[in-house]
Amino acid sequence: MVEQDFILEVDAIHTFIGQFHILEGVTVQVRCNSITVLLGRNGAGKTTTLKSILGLTPPRIGRVLFDGRELQGKRAYDIAAMGIGFVPEHRAIFRNLSVAENLRIAERKKGDLERKAEFIFGLFPDLKRLYKLPGNHLSGGQQQMLAVARALVADNKLLLIDEPSEGLAPILIEQMMEAIRELSATTTVLLVEQNFLMASRLAQYYYIIDDGKSVHQGEMADLIHDEALVHQYLGASVRVEVGASSGRGGGK
Amino acid sequence: MKIKAFWRENNTLLSVALILLALSIFGLFSMGLEPFVRTTLSGFTLSALYFMVAAGLTLVFGLMDVLNFSQGSMLMIGAYAGWQFYTNPTFLFGLAPLVFALMAGLTMMAVLHPLVSKWRIPEQWQSRLRALLLVLAVVIGVLAVAGVDFRGLASTAMVATMVAGNPLAEATLQEPLASFWIRPLLLFLSGALIALAQARPGDSTVVVYKDQSRRSGMIVAGLLALVIVATLVRESGPLAVLTTNGNLRFVLALIVGTLVGAGLGAVIETTLISPLYVRPLYQVIITMGLAFVISELIQLLWDPLPYAMSRPPAFSQPGKAENIWAFFQGGNTTVDILGVTFPSYRLFIIALGVLMFVGLTLVLKYTRLGMIIRAGVQDREMVEALGINVKRVFTLVFALGTGLAALGGIGAAPFVPVEPVMGDRYLMQGFITVVIGGMGSTTGAAVGALLLGLARAFGDYLALKFSLSPAISEASTVIIMAIVLLARPAGLLGRRE
Ligand SMILES: Nc1ncnc2c1ncn2[C@@H]1O[C@H](COP(=O)(O)OP(=O)(O)OP(=O)(O)O)[C@@H](O)[C@H]1O
Ligand SMILES: [Mg+2]
Repeated sequence: MVEQDFILEVDAIHTFIGQFHILEGVTVQVRCNSITVLLGRNGAGKTTTLKSILGLTPPRIGRVLFDGRELQGKRAYDIAAMGIGFVPEHRAIFRNLSVAENLRIAERKKGDLERKAEFIFGLFPDLKRLYKLPGNHLSGGQQQMLAVARALVADNKLLLIDEPSEGLAPILIEQMMEAIRELSATTTVLLVEQNFLMASRLAQYYYIIDDGKSVHQGEMADLIHDEALVHQYLGASVRVEVGASSGRGGGK
Repeated sequence: MKIKAFWRENNTLLSVALILLALSIFGLFSMGLEPFVRTTLSGFTLSALYFMVAAGLTLVFGLMDVLNFSQGSMLMIGAYAGWQFYTNPTFLFGLAPLVFALMAGLTMMAVLHPLVSKWRIPEQWQSRLRALLLVLAVVIGVLAVAGVDFRGLASTAMVATMVAGNPLAEATLQEPLASFWIRPLLLFLSGALIALAQARPGDSTVVVYKDQSRRSGMIVAGLLALVIVATLVRESGPLAVLTTNGNLRFVLALIVGTLVGAGLGAVIETTLISPLYVRPLYQVIITMGLAFVISELIQLLWDPLPYAMSRPPAFSQPGKAENIWAFFQGGNTTVDILGVTFPSYRLFIIALGVLMFVGLTLVLKYTRLGMIIRAGVQDREMVEALGINVKRVFTLVFALGTGLAALGGIGAAPFVPVEPVMGDRYLMQGFITVVIGGMGSTTGAAVGALLLGLARAFGDYLALKFSLSPAISEASTVIIMAIVLLARPAGLLGRRE
């Protein structure tokens, strides 16, 4: 018996949306109990990679293995039910549902929410206070927290989190990072993050996607010092932040 | 502060309520109590009917962006099915085994899928094979029903209404089992051949869903069991139904009509609508075509005549009840409300409409299905990403919508003529209702129905009083729609985006 290293293996997938060839060979491997981050410019195909894994935009070529099982030909709801939680970009909570319902709807077994409530409210104490409010009354940061919390209700082995820091105030980014680090103690996380500072402090492994292709991968610790690479694929803007990050605080 | 917030949240509803209140005070004093109450009650009756059509339309549009032009036909089918069940069950009992057999055959699609996708067939032969299979299926299907006296089975009710005392006297006999048994078998085969063609033998690019085939296998088994049961009770069933108590029979008719509508809805969604979610325009055209086909089929079976279904005994005892409580004991045809003699059955329709609205609202608000529907209206993809089979929810909601319309149809049958044009009539009103209320909103549909029904009733009253053309009341609904759309382009409670 070989110890299973990777919970998720994405092997050279090609994804089409309509007639557009969006992903042209993306390979990602996610180690159990790690945080892996997908990096890349706007429009590189990070979100599409997450959606391809989930089967929302099924890849036409290549294969995806989750937990040792082939995902080809499975539908999105079956894939999710195998134990993948999804936190979409742009804080896509259900605005016309209350906070409670947003969490309740994510249950896969009866009582999921009751079992996880303590854990979830431990991470995001605000949500407890807002429990009865409709989703559209929440502030942007609260919505983002709810989106993450929703993915925690069911027993998920893997969380796909798409840009959790998008549009958050610095103090909230800090809080969100803390929460992700804490929840990564029990699950594996595949993160998409534009905020390089946050990505570099959280993740142990990185993959860079450019123009629909995987172009680089490795350990986060090495990437931080490789300014040329960062500059080439992630643009000049992040260089300043790299300089600001004086060492790796992530990992476990 | 509280009041201000409340007003902001509900200003549309409150404004409508205020306008209605002002109008009714004005109406009450200018018309006098008796005509006012009578007209209002008539309006409520119409509102209830409009709501029953509109509820399904708005639910289905809100969740899956499908405009179902056959929704009116579902009301009509409910009316015909319920009416037939109530006065002439031979038709439904004779048809049931055939329908179930065909459905079982069609459901074989997902079962056959994994088997045939691996067949080695040259590309150019695949499409020819499919065409051949379809032709074969049609031939077998025609053979299967050749010689069935559908019109004979259907027509008993016409006779039955004439010999009202004893509908059994004229009941058409079912074909004997000895020659009938082959028909469901052939229809199953015909359905299975269509399914085989749909499964695209040899086409390895089609994605095969394994657990889907397992589920379909179970459905096929269930349907086949139904075929057997339906075949066995075919001859004895109608008698048993007709000899039951009239009220019970009416309740059964309500259930049967609803189930027929819901079942048909489920079949329509899975076969015609769901392959076309990427081509919404085709969905519209297909449901329109369906409405046309249904109305033609009905004319073929029952002639384009209007039929009157008799009211169940609970609403047909002669005399007038002094008040509602007296009616509950006496089951009179009419009842006295605030000095107005009003047909009691219409009160039943109003109650049915209100019940439907309350039930639907409760389901949407408090059940898991309701939660999923509300979430799906906003973001289907995310609902799916939570591990919920949205496609199945679609089928369920579509069936719920058509079932509600069918329930409305059988409910309406005892007091409106049952005729082939009722589908189009109610479809039109249903659409106007939904547009007024706002696409996707159930409460909106209820408010829209209320406005439309009252406008129709008061329009008719005015037309009669001032001897104007009755077209004025029909025009009033469109005028209301225009006014509402000018003030609120998305409808009263529509999503403002
Ligand atoms: N529905 C669609 N139709 C056509 N093209 C699409 C569609 N969705 C995404 N794309 C294209 O696919 C590419 C990748 O998009 P994707 O959303 O995966 O990028 P991303 O890396 O997540 O970008 P961002 O950082 O801006 O979120 C983009 O060029 C985008 O324009
Ligand atoms: Mg993105």
